[in-house]
Amino acid sequence: MKKHHLSALLNCAFLVVVIILSGKSFMAMHEQPPIYPGPGVTEIRMLSEYYPDLKNTAGDTEVYVLQGKNPGGSMLVLGGTHANEPAGYIAGVVMIENLQLEEGTLFVIPQANRSAFTHSDPQEGAPQEFTIETAGGVRWFRYGSRATNPVDQWPDPDVYIHQSGQKLSGSETRNLNRAYPGRSDSTLTEKVAYGIMQLIREEEIDVSIDLHEASPEYPVINAIVAHERANELAAMSMMYLQFEDLNYALELSPTNFHGLSHREWGDYSNTNAILMETANPIQGRLRGKTTTEMIMTGKDACYVEAARLNRLYVDFDENGHPLEERVGRHIAGIRSIAETFAELNPERGMQLEGLPSVENLQAQGIGTYLHSPEL
Amino acid sequence: MLTLVYRLIVLLMIVFVLWDLWREKDWRGQATASLVLIPLILRFLLIK
Repeated sequence: MKKHHLSALLNCAFLVVVIILSGKSFMAMHEQPPIYPGPGVTEIRMLSEYYPDLKNTAGDTEVYVLQGKNPGGSMLVLGGTHANEPAGYIAGVVMIENLQLEEGTLFVIPQANRSAFTHSDPQEGAPQEFTIETAGGVRWFRYGSRATNPVDQWPDPDVYIHQSGQKLSGSETRNLNRAYPGRSDSTLTEKVAYGIMQLIREEEIDVSIDLHEASPEYPVINAIVAHERANELAAMSMMYLQFEDLNYALELSPTNFHGLSHREWGDYSNTNAILMETANPIQGRLRGKTTTEMIMTGKDACYVEAARLNRLYVDFDENGHPLEERVGRHIAGIRSIAETFAELNPERGMQLEGLPSVENLQAQGIGTYLHSPEL
Repeated sequence: MLTLVYRLIVLLMIVFVLWDLWREKDWRGQATASLVLIPLILRFLLIK
């Protein structure tokens, strides 16, 4: 054997080792952490029950049903539309593991875009997971991407043309919150959107809430965005939240910006469509080093400086915006919207019990409200 | 069908680069070919 053939074989051996190591790391992203349903969960369904074409695809995801003791209204809560916005996902998990309903029915989808949880955004230095300490051990949670995994949906077009005719950049074709109302014969992301629309229509959901986070320099932040049908509901809820010193901006869903949950859910069903945003520095372009701690603490020195220069749409100091605060704001918003809807529609009441307040979460930590990991 | 065509193209590229790796006499050229193969193989296997 010639000398250069020997080195070629050595190179191939190196190649195999790297492929195995990197392949295992990428494949590990497909493992998702367990969720432990609390006593309020009466049924776990799959989204494919509402749109069977999703069965056995990367887009199928769990729908947790919490049926109250008494009939009433119905609400859908979506976390994980963007898998790199953990407050919505964790708020969904806290609700599934703690919430009990006296009245009404709640549907919770903690990982709305399941495929987005199986990869992370390139060139962002994003962690693959983060952990939360509970009374009985450490729970881990997946940190994913804003968009569907390109392994599950490709290629991206140069221009994404939404069914309304709206044109966006090609990568937005994998963004669930640009895909509504979805189509049954289109991309995986649009099929997931269609499945969620089918759930809203078939279950005649009264109120649908999509939980998000945004970078501190984004104008729509610490905000409630409402479809015009839900405007009164959102305004009253926001007023009640202000009584608790929780300030939100109220934004009316733009009528000419298509594909978003707060626009299309309302236009293509009778639901009251609402989206909520909290401030998350790990998504921002002004952030410093990207770390797992940043997900939990919401602290970043660069954003403190940006706030000093008056470049942000949210207060930002050395205390940051910890996950406890962000999850707490989402849960407080959901509770307020449910109570306000019951006030406006007494025959469609929803009574949510067992949810922590922002103060509880900040004083005791999120882990207090999460099930201990089963060993 | 599109995925099948795509994977066939990637497979063809993998074969060509492997052939170059085998014929290349300079170890630096061989290492370059190995590095090129990593994303190609991960893509062919639909891992990344």
